[in-house]
Amino acid sequence: MKLSEILKELKAKVLANVQKVEELQFELVAASDLMSEVLAIAKPGVLLITGLCTPQVVRTADVVGIQAVVIVRRETLPSETIEMAQASGIVLAATKMSMFEACGRLYVKGLKPIWEV
Amino acid sequence: MEKILDRVQSFFLDMPVVEVMNPNVISVRPDRTLRQVKEILRIKRISGVPVVDEDRKILGIVSIEDIIKALEGGYIDGKVQDHMTKKVVCLKTTDTLKEVIETFEKYSYGRFPVVDENERVVGIITKNDVMMALLAKLGLVYLHDERRREVLESPDYFDKSLITGERLDKSGADFFFPIDYYDINLAGIGASKLRQFLLSKGVDPETARRVAIATYEAETNVVIHSGSTGAIYCFVKPDSIFVRVEDTGKGIDNVELAMKEGYSTAPDYVRELGFGAGMGFTNMKRCSDNMMVVSKVGAGVVVEMEFRRYREGKK
Repeated sequence: MKLSEILKELKAKVLANVQKVEELQFELVAASDLMSEVLAIAKPGVLLITGLCTPQVVRTADVVGIQAVVIVRRETLPSETIEMAQASGIVLAATKMSMFEACGRLYVKGLKPIWEV
Repeated sequence: MEKILDRVQSFFLDMPVVEVMNPNVISVRPDRTLRQVKEILRIKRISGVPVVDEDRKILGIVSIEDIIKALEGGYIDGKVQDHMTKKVVCLKTTDTLKEVIETFEKYSYGRFPVVDENERVVGIITKNDVMMALLAKLGLVYLHDERRREVLESPDYFDKSLITGERLDKSGADFFFPIDYYDINLAGIGASKLRQFLLSKGVDPETARRVAIATYEAETNVVIHSGSTGAIYCFVKPDSIFVRVEDTGKGIDNVELAMKEGYSTAPDYVRELGFGAGMGFTNMKRCSDNMMVVSKVGAGVVVEMEFRRYREGKK
């Protein structure tokens, strides 16, 4: 699914690297507030959904090779987080939606978890 | 100046008032005369005394200034209760050094009584007490530094490779990053730089990623747990990447326990940032092909990891 469609579905506002929104596509989604968990399970090419908004989120995404992060339950983000995303070339978006709703909407749209049981 | 204050804040400004104050307070009852107070000040070589009732509850304060005024005004034989300063600025037992300093800045008084929740005097603080408390604390910091030096100078702990047992020429590292911050928000910079470095050296992205993830965890550990500074060294070899993350901090009491998945000693503020899930060492182990941890309480932690390049299939 195109990132632009995903962000529309989540009513998310893009805060960094908006120019990449049209070119990126995602099939897999990881949702977590635990950065250690993201480091442990996420792979490059997944979309990350998280409730955390510290610069750590961007750094973690960068280390794992994640290209887009959607932060839930927020409209604005700390400027250092946005600046870091800008510098790392990671698309950063924020939505007021809760994690539950965001994940549910994307699941219904056919996006997949990183592993299926 | 503000930056320095910010940095030392955690060291000093959170000090509880009880560590700064002098608990042996010389006080007087309200029915004494100012002449008697003058003698107390002279004999004890102090510049003021709190006035308390029979329950040690604060009633007022008399300073040298009040005595001088009494001598000039000719009422040195008057009662303390009639001439003391009744509006006393007090510190509370729950205050910290930060509040103490702010109180000194705000008022021009030389001393502040410390009172408990029932307004009873339990201590007194002068600028001299603040200075002595800071010096005592600095002494501890210096001790910590001395211990660090000892560890650094112990040759087999810090100069040999844990994995190979060979002498390690750290100055010959291909990548070096000092972890010298105390802000958890900065954790991961070294790992992220290391990943860029490896990619620039032509290391395949998957290996660079594994190295970065493991290093990120190790770096975060240094920031969260060591209470000290550390360093990342990376050696790029033709068929493997070798990473060593070391710190000179407080060390791990029980390495085996720390290695257990889910075991964590991270404080809450760290958990709020998405760390401290007890997955650090597990993640490092998973990402690397060979890993060694050595630690001693008070003597830092050394983590060494080896990553085989072009690793096939292993997930």
